[in-house]
Amino acid sequence: MSPILSIENLSIHFYTPKGVRKAVDRVSLELNKKEVVGVAGESGSGKSTLALGIMRLIAPPGEIVDGKIFYHGDDILRYSESEFNSKIRWKKIAMIFQGSLNGFTPVFKIGEQIEEVLEVHEYKGDFKERVKELLKMVELDPSVADRYPHELSGGMKQRAFIAMALALNPEILICDEPTTALDVITQAKIINLLKTLKKDLGLSIIFITHDMALLSEISDKLYIMYAGGIMESGNSLDIYKNPKHPYTQLLMEAIADINKDYIKGIPGFMPDLANLPSGCRFSDRCPYAMDICRRKEPELKKIEGDRNVACWLY
Amino acid sequence: MSRVGYIDPNVIMETRNLKVYFVKGGFLAKKQVTKAVDDVDVKIKKGEVLALVGESGSGKTTLGRTMIGLQRITSGQVIYNRDGSPIIIDAKSKVPKHIRRELQMIYQDPYSSIDPYMKVYDALSMPLKYAGFSKKEMQSKIEDSLTMVGLPLDILPNYVFQLSGGQRQRLNIARAISLDPKFLVADEVVTMLDASLKGEIVELFKDINRKTGISMLFITHELPIAKLVAERMLVMYRGKIVEAGSINAVLKDPLHPYTKALIQAYPKISPETKDVIKRIDVKEAEAAQIESKGCPFYHRCPYASERCLHEMPKLKKVASDHEVACYLY
Repeated sequence: MSPILSIENLSIHFYTPKGVRKAVDRVSLELNKKEVVGVAGESGSGKSTLALGIMRLIAPPGEIVDGKIFYHGDDILRYSESEFNSKIRWKKIAMIFQGSLNGFTPVFKIGEQIEEVLEVHEYKGDFKERVKELLKMVELDPSVADRYPHELSGGMKQRAFIAMALALNPEILICDEPTTALDVITQAKIINLLKTLKKDLGLSIIFITHDMALLSEISDKLYIMYAGGIMESGNSLDIYKNPKHPYTQLLMEAIADINKDYIKGIPGFMPDLANLPSGCRFSDRCPYAMDICRRKEPELKKIEGDRNVACWLY
Repeated sequence: MSRVGYIDPNVIMETRNLKVYFVKGGFLAKKQVTKAVDDVDVKIKKGEVLALVGESGSGKTTLGRTMIGLQRITSGQVIYNRDGSPIIIDAKSKVPKHIRRELQMIYQDPYSSIDPYMKVYDALSMPLKYAGFSKKEMQSKIEDSLTMVGLPLDILPNYVFQLSGGQRQRLNIARAISLDPKFLVADEVVTMLDASLKGEIVELFKDINRKTGISMLFITHELPIAKLVAERMLVMYRGKIVEAGSINAVLKDPLHPYTKALIQAYPKISPETKDVIKRIDVKEAEAAQIESKGCPFYHRCPYASERCLHEMPKLKKVASDHEVACYLY
């Protein structure tokens, strides 16, 4: 089975007065049908930039400088903006954001705002019927269409936004910290909803978060990002059971979990993205750093099965 | 003192029937009352770290602010048991000025709680200056508090904006403890920090508590953090304390339907559950808060009865270290 989305060596740079910040540095990622791919990393690791890059929403001073994004084998980075907008954006790949709660304008009803998406993307069919269908899909009452955003709770707004993302029946849904602003019970319900959508609609999901515990409850595959680069990737269950990269290992130790009696910090800071260390980007915080780590950057390479690790230890 | 009755000498901070209501509207607009803190009785022992857990909007921050005198009380009392001469704060009285520095608060966002264009030295010396310390005392206090939070002394001439998030939060902590507070409210102090930093800051709070004996109210919505930092916890829901007890008792054997749902829903490292739909019995919160005399959880509770709608259950002791406010018990 070939992946529906395949990213190859994607680099996104920001040209700032302080220098070129490599927010996404030669990142490769594969997404299969009906799969949830988790992208984990701390703030500033480039995970949101990666998501915006896939949607081609990088604004100056940022720029996609290199790489390919294949959607069913077609390089969508080579599409013109209007072609991308009419064929891919929201039709095939849609996205929900952490700030989706504020993504609705307060002066129009939810139904009207979803209808607007249908209209802009030239949906053929009955708008009102489609809105009803979408709201049902996300387990909201159809009457929500006639309500204003301020009449909804945070969880309901996030559901309504998911409905809006699903409006044109996309194959891929990118979720960037979709539950971070929600309380725990609502968060669990939204995660349940995403799992149901994956199963019922055959949706493929890229799930971006800093919350490793949350990610463990939904992801099939995992990509660990640090300072713009992928440190480790592979089957989610395997990585949680047996993390290989020292950064992943430390990150696992740092997860706060109700069943754990300790959490450990990771000493040091993430390097400046405009001034990455010459060797491995994690070398100055890594407890196992060797001489070669400071001189030469390790490539992401396969060590077993589908596990890839960028580390000189392997 | 007859007015307040008996005060436990082992308790440093106590609230009695504390109510803090916010009133919006009135005159022409419809009057809306938000009961941020509604009839809350809390006791914090000397030297204790007490965790206060609840979702956003539950009134955690308002309770903390009221305890240190930053929020006007609607009715009830806050009693700060100051070395045998209790200070009583109610709707009509304020915390006397010379006592305010004994009650400190640290906020969630290390980026917005200190002016980034201040130098580290100024950020630290300003509160000391207002507290009336001499230059010499100030210097030693600044040095002591920086050492306590693990910041190097040579950052004193730096600007605050040059510090990382973790360093800023340490600076915030140094600023609060430099005044030798007796009671500290830590309001979501690790929420904004990355996973790699959380552990260090949690350890720092435990360390400060061990070394100085400062009593703390540790507000957080993260259950694992509460577990690490405190021995006792309170669970707050829409202005009411619904459950209280030792951390182990509450986390292992939650009683209130809200606490149960909270622990059930809390993300746990469990990659084997990736295709499992979590069972959550409680309903999702509605946007509008429905006014009632009864339990604030009534509309979401799977076990709600007629009685719950009309009358709020009192906190009831079910074990030596466990209390719950629910008619099921």
